Amino acid sequence: MRVIFYTGKGGVGKSTMAAATAFQLSKNNSVLITSLDPAHNLGDIFGVTLKDKRTKFAHNLFLAEVDLQKRSREYLEREIDVLTRTYSYLRALNLENYFNVLKYSPGIEEYALLTCIEETVRNGTDFDYLIFDTPPTGLTLRFLALPRVTITWIERLMKIRRQILDKRYTIQKVRGGPKEGEKNPEIKLKYEEGDDDVLNRLKALDENYKSLNRFLQGEDCSVIIVFNPDLLALRESERLIEGLRDLGLPLRLLIDNKVTGDNLETAGEVEKSLVEGFGKDIPVRRVALAATIACQLGRCLYDIPEDLVSAL
Amino acid sequence: MNPSFSEKMKHILEGFLTGRKESVIALTCKEVQELENIFSLLLLGSFVGFPAPPTFLAVELLPYMEREMQVLQYRADTSGDMLAELCGILGVD
Repeated sequence: MRVIFYTGKGGVGKSTMAAATAFQLSKNNSVLITSLDPAHNLGDIFGVTLKDKRTKFAHNLFLAEVDLQKRSREYLEREIDVLTRTYSYLRALNLENYFNVLKYSPGIEEYALLTCIEETVRNGTDFDYLIFDTPPTGLTLRFLALPRVTITWIERLMKIRRQILDKRYTIQKVRGGPKEGEKNPEIKLKYEEGDDDVLNRLKALDENYKSLNRFLQGEDCSVIIVFNPDLLALRESERLIEGLRDLGLPLRLLIDNKVTGDNLETAGEVEKSLVEGFGKDIPVRRVALAATIACQLGRCLYDIPEDLVSAL
Repeated sequence: MNPSFSEKMKHILEGFLTGRKESVIALTCKEVQELENIFSLLLLGSFVGFPAPPTFLAVELLPYMEREMQVLQYRADTSGDMLAELCGILGVD
């Protein structure tokens, strides 16, 4: 199974390129294409209505649009449920509903996005290719950086937690066990690594994120940048390439989309600038803009003549 | 029945020993409390305007943080008199 992320500035044609690649790949492989962009248009490209579940489009091609708000809500509801169970005594006072305020925690969207990728990868092992159409640059870089940022935090927190347990162990050894009939809350504190819920949870999260990070940086994962022959797209693509390099994520292809006879020269300059400055070994594909495409309502937007798969 | 002389002596010695042990580990206890305080501040610091880890990490661990939050609360109450507390532990008059 191989995973491909399509990324780039807003409006450059990520979704169309991702859809075209998925369509071309599906001739010989089984493919699932998932849109992570909150402003979905995968359904529009294929001319179908997609809900938050996998839909079969052709024999080998499946489509999905992720409802991020719904995912965030589900995740927080799960957490609120754990909290409510832990503090079940609050039910007696009818106070458990106050945890609902957590629904408004910021930063949850990126997490929901990442969880969604993880789930799709875990459940998509029967596909040859998983293609993700991602939101514009800013959010994409943030969520792709999330495993690494999180791992750094988890490692720091685990270090402090281990120090706490070490010191608790010393206290326990000096004090000895509680005597008969004695109730001392300090003595009941957990000092073994396996008994501490916080450390156990941190360890589980650490393992989760490390494996996700290994996967994202691995051979089976590819990132493809789509850009247009203009200055803004060039600058944003440069930032994106730098960001991907910092994160150690594998950039495999550059697609120069919407090239016409008028902007041919600019297209050449933009491609040259990107390749020379950032990715000498990375192939570039050029995709022409069909000027009449918007007027031809019945036309398949995903079926383009350029070959997008041979470089993958 | 009144305790015998040896029982009284045993109690006195036990009390003395416990006192010594407590004075030895008082600083370690304080250290643990401070570390727990730092741990909670790092994790839940966004509540008081510190740079915080990704929100979901705090949300994930929140269900297990009851004691740490109590320590945080206690530290907030006593932080005005930190010097006196340290002098108390170190036996400075």
